[in-house]
Amino acid sequence: MSAPSGLDPHAGSSRTVWSPGTRRVDFGRRVLVLRRRRVAVRLDWRSVTVCSVLALAVACLAVLALMTGSYQLSPGQVVSALTGGETGLVHDIVVEWRLPRVLAALVFGAALGVSGAAFQSTMRNPLADPYIIGFSQGSYTGALIVILLVNGTYWQLAGGALIGGIATSVAVYVLAYRRGVQGFRLIVVGIGISAMLSSLNTWLILRADLDQAMAAATWGAGSLNGISSAQVAFGAACIAVLLLLAAMSSRPMRQLELGDDAAAAQGVRVSATRLWLIVLGVALTATVTAASGPIAFISLLAPQIGRRLTRTAGITLAPAALVGALLCLAADYLAQHVAPTPLPVGIITVMLGGGYLGWLLITEARRRP
Amino acid sequence: MTTTPLRGRGAALTAAILSSALVLTACGSDGDSGDNAAGRSDETHTVKAGNGDIKVPAAPQRVVTIGNTDLPFIDMGGKPVGVTGVDESELSLLPEGQRATFEKATELGDEVDLEKVASLKPDLIMVQIPDAEFQKIEDQLGAIAPTVFWGLDTEWKALAEAIAEAGNLEDALDRQKADYEGRVAEMKQTYSDVIENTRFVNLDRYANSDPGTFVIADIGCVEIAQDDIGLNFPKAAAGADPLAYTSLPFEQIAELSEYDVITYPADAEGQPTEVFAPVVQTNTWKELSTVQSGNALGVFCPGNNSYGSVLRYLDSLDTALATLPAEQ
Amino acid sequence: MTDLALRRPVGSGTGTVSGPRRRLIGLVVALAVLLGLLVASMMIGSTAIAPTVVWDALFHPSNDIDQFAIRDFRLPRTIVGLVVGTALGVSGALIQALTRNPLADAGILGLNAGASFAVTVAVGLLGVRDIQGYMWFAFAGALIVTLMVLVLGSNRRGQSPVMMVLAGLCVGSVLSGAGSALELTNPDAFDAMRSWNAGSIVSRPLDMLWPTLPFFAIALLLAFAVSGPLNAMALGDELAVAQGVRLVRTRILAIIALTLLAGGATAIAGPISFVGLMVPHVARWIVGPDQRWIFAYSALLAPILLLASDILGRVVMRPGEIPVGIVTSFVGAPVLIALVRQKKASGL
Repeated sequence: MSAPSGLDPHAGSSRTVWSPGTRRVDFGRRVLVLRRRRVAVRLDWRSVTVCSVLALAVACLAVLALMTGSYQLSPGQVVSALTGGETGLVHDIVVEWRLPRVLAALVFGAALGVSGAAFQSTMRNPLADPYIIGFSQGSYTGALIVILLVNGTYWQLAGGALIGGIATSVAVYVLAYRRGVQGFRLIVVGIGISAMLSSLNTWLILRADLDQAMAAATWGAGSLNGISSAQVAFGAACIAVLLLLAAMSSRPMRQLELGDDAAAAQGVRVSATRLWLIVLGVALTATVTAASGPIAFISLLAPQIGRRLTRTAGITLAPAALVGALLCLAADYLAQHVAPTPLPVGIITVMLGGGYLGWLLITEARRRP
Repeated sequence: MTTTPLRGRGAALTAAILSSALVLTACGSDGDSGDNAAGRSDETHTVKAGNGDIKVPAAPQRVVTIGNTDLPFIDMGGKPVGVTGVDESELSLLPEGQRATFEKATELGDEVDLEKVASLKPDLIMVQIPDAEFQKIEDQLGAIAPTVFWGLDTEWKALAEAIAEAGNLEDALDRQKADYEGRVAEMKQTYSDVIENTRFVNLDRYANSDPGTFVIADIGCVEIAQDDIGLNFPKAAAGADPLAYTSLPFEQIAELSEYDVITYPADAEGQPTEVFAPVVQTNTWKELSTVQSGNALGVFCPGNNSYGSVLRYLDSLDTALATLPAEQ
Repeated sequence: MTDLALRRPVGSGTGTVSGPRRRLIGLVVALAVLLGLLVASMMIGSTAIAPTVVWDALFHPSNDIDQFAIRDFRLPRTIVGLVVGTALGVSGALIQALTRNPLADAGILGLNAGASFAVTVAVGLLGVRDIQGYMWFAFAGALIVTLMVLVLGSNRRGQSPVMMVLAGLCVGSVLSGAGSALELTNPDAFDAMRSWNAGSIVSRPLDMLWPTLPFFAIALLLAFAVSGPLNAMALGDELAVAQGVRLVRTRILAIIALTLLAGGATAIAGPISFVGLMVPHVARWIVGPDQRWIFAYSALLAPILLLASDILGRVVMRPGEIPVGIVTSFVGAPVLIALVRQKKASGL
C-alpha cells in the first residue's frame, strides 16, 4: 500500500495531501443563457467551446481507433460495416471486436472523469480518490480469488471485484467506527487493512500458476482486452444512471466547493450532500473497476485538465467527463497500436499520470512564490 | 516377482505397437503422396475436442497454435503460421530446427491478438489454455477458422494424439510413439533392479520459489519416470490430493538422506539449472550422504508435453541412472 | 533531559506519552525483547534442532549437518533481519519527520518503485537471475530515483516536503508503469519478480550483507545527527531557522540517510513496505514527538516486528514457510488498528 510498487498503481496517492494552485477568479466572462420554460441554463462561453472541441476530438479519435488494427481494413469497409453493409469476418472485426472496445474506453473514461470530479470537489483535494478506504486492494483481492481459485467467468470476475471492494470498504468503516468515524482513524485503519490485503494479493500471485498469475496481473493493471458488446452495454447502462444522478447534483457540488459555510448559507445540506457525492464517486469507479480492472489516474487527471482548459474556478462535470473519455481512448490507442507489444491501458494511464504530475511540478509549483 | 510377467507384457505390447505403427506409417505415406493434390484441401473430417465435435480440413495448411499446442505441434513436424508467446527459458531448450520453425511463425503475443490471428487467414486454430480464458475468445476464434480446444487437464499423450489427428500429422506421431514405447521397454529391462529396490526422490526449484526453499515435486518429467518406467518416487497417500509439489526450506535438505537416490533438474550438459544451483551450493547438500556417495543425479528435462522432448528426457535419465554406484 | 520535557507537544495530551525515565525503561524492555527474539530465531525452524547443537554450531563449530543448518540458514537470516529491520524503522521515522506526515514511509519518495524497476530491468533485459545480482541494481535504482525526486522537487528556495512527495509520486508512477509493462510482456521476468516483490530475508548470505554495512552505519549516524534539527523543524520552518537550524542542509542529510537505509534494506530483502510506516508511528504514540526517542524506539521495534514475523512465517505452515514481507503486515496491521481504536486521535 505504501509505494507505487510493481502492480499497484494506486498505492501512495491516498495519503498525499496537496492543495491545488491558487484558483483564478474571473469576472466579466461571456455567458450564454438558454431559457426554455422555467429552466434557465447558464453556460459559460469558453466552456461551451472547449466542450465542443473535446467532443470533436473524442469522435475523431474513436473513428481512428475503429480504423486501426492488425487486420487491415479500408475506411470504406469500416463505414459499411458500421452501417450494416458487411457480413462475416469484416463485420465481426469492426462491430463485435473494435467497437465495444472503443465504446468501453469512451464510457469508462467519462465515468472515471466524473467520479474524480465528485471526489475532488467534496474533498477539496485534487489527489483524493476512492482508494483511500481500501477499495482498490479489496477489489483486486476479490478478482484474484475469482481468477486464481474459482477460475470464473467475466461476470463472476466483475462480481468478485465488486464484492471484494465493497466488503473491504465496509470493514474499514466498521473497524474505524468508535462512537463515530473520525478522519484520521479511518485513514489509519484503511492503511492497515490495505497493507494486509496487499500482502495477501502478493501471496496469491506468487503461488499461482504463471499463466493465471499473469492474467490476474493484467486485470490488476486495468485492461480493456477482450471486452464484449454485452459487457460494455451492461457497464454503460449502470454508468448512464450514475452519470444522470451526478449531473443532477452538479449544482450543490459547485456550491460545496465554495466552502462548507458558504454552501450551508445557500441552503445546501453539507454533510448529506458530501456523503451523496462520495457514494456516487465510489459507485462510478467501482463499476469501471468491476468491468475492466482499476484504470489508474484518469479520475485524478481529467477534472484537473478540464478545469485548466475551461479556466473555471471549480470542477465542472462535462469537461471532466469529456477529458476522461479522451484520455482513456488515447491511452488505449497508445497501448494497443503504438507500444511495441499490446499493453493493458492502465499501464499507459499510470505513466501519463506520472508525467502530468511532473509537468505540474515543473511549471506551476515553480511559479508559486 | 511381478516384474517378469510385467516385462513380458510390456515387450508384447511394444511389439504390437511397433507393428501397427509400421502398418500405419505405410498407410500414412500412401496418403501423403496424394495429399498434395489441390483437390484434397477442401475435404474435411470431424475431430473430437474439448469444445465438442469440430469439422476441420483434412489437410490444414495454415495452422495457428495458441497456448500449449505450439511445441507438440512443431515437435511432430508441424509448421504453424502463428504462435503465442513462449518464454525464452523454454524456447532455449528446443532443438535447433524446431526453434527455427517457431521463430518463422508470426508471434501473436501473450494475450492473443485476435486481429493478428484473423489477418493470418488460418484454416485451423488449435488451443490449449485455461477454460476461463478460452471462453472469452471462443466465439471470436470460431469466426476466424475452425477451432479445436483442449483444457489444461488433457494429459500430454492424449493431447499429442488429438493434435496429430487435427493437424494431419498422424504418421509422425506413430513414429514417435513407437520410438518412445521401445525406449521405455528397454529401460525397464536395463534398470529392473533399480526399479525394484531403490527409493527415489525428485527435487526442483521454480523461478517463483521463495528464496531459501526448494520443492519435492512429482510433476514434470518425473511423472514419466514414475508412471511409465516405474521408478519408486514418493506418491501422495491414497485419497489425498496429488502431491504435485511441496515447498520446503533449505533446512529440510538434511532430511533427504532417507532416500537412496535424489534426482534434480540439470541442463543439457548435466550441470544443475540456474534456478536450482542455490540448493547445490549449500554446505548441507554437500555433506548429505546421498550426495557424497554419488547418488544424486542431475537430469535434463527439455519439456514433458511432446514425445520428442520426453525422449530427450529419457536419454538424459538413462545416462544418469547408468552412473549410479549400484549399476557399476 | 529538561529540554525533552520542554519539547512535549502542544495538545498531544495522550496518556501513553511518558517521562524520560519511563521511556528509558521502555527502551531497555524493547532491547530485552529483541535479544529474546534473536535467540528464538536461532532455535525455531522447520526442523527441530536441539539447543545444545545450536550452541555448539556457534561456539564449537564442526561439520555436523545440523550445525550447517544453524550457521548457514538461521544465523544469516537472523542477522539480516536485525539489520534490515533497524534500517526500515529508522528510515520510516526520518521520512515521517521530514514530510511532517505521520503516515508516510520511504516508498512515498518513489524509492521502492525505483528499486523494483531497476531489478525488473536487470531480470527482464539483462538476464540477471540471482538475489546477489539484484542487490546492486536495487540499491542503484533507489539512489537514482531519490536524486531525481530531489531535483524535481526543488525550486530556487529549496525543497518543500509537499513538492518532494509529488515528485516521488510522479517518478514512482512512471517507473511502476514501465516496470509493469516490462513484466507483463516478459513471462520470465514476471516469474522472477513476483518472488522478489514478496520481500524476504532468507537465503541472503552474510557476504552479501557486509558491503552494505558501512552505508548503514553512516546513515544511522546521520539520522541521529539530524534528529535534533528535525525536532526544531517540527515546530515550523521559521522557528527552526530562528533556532539556527539550516533547513536545506538538514533536509538533504536526512534524505541521504533515509535513502541509504531504505534503499539498502530494499536491496537486500526486497520491498518490505509496512514496517517503515507502522513502527515510527507506534513509537510516536509511545514516546511523544521527540525525534531522538522516536528514532531509538524505531530502531528497536522494527527488528522486533520483522524477526517476530519471520519466526511466525516459519511456524504457521511447517515444514513450508511464508516470506517475511507477507507476514509483517498481518502481524503489524491488527496491532496498529487495535492501537488506533484505543487512542484518542493523534497526528504528529
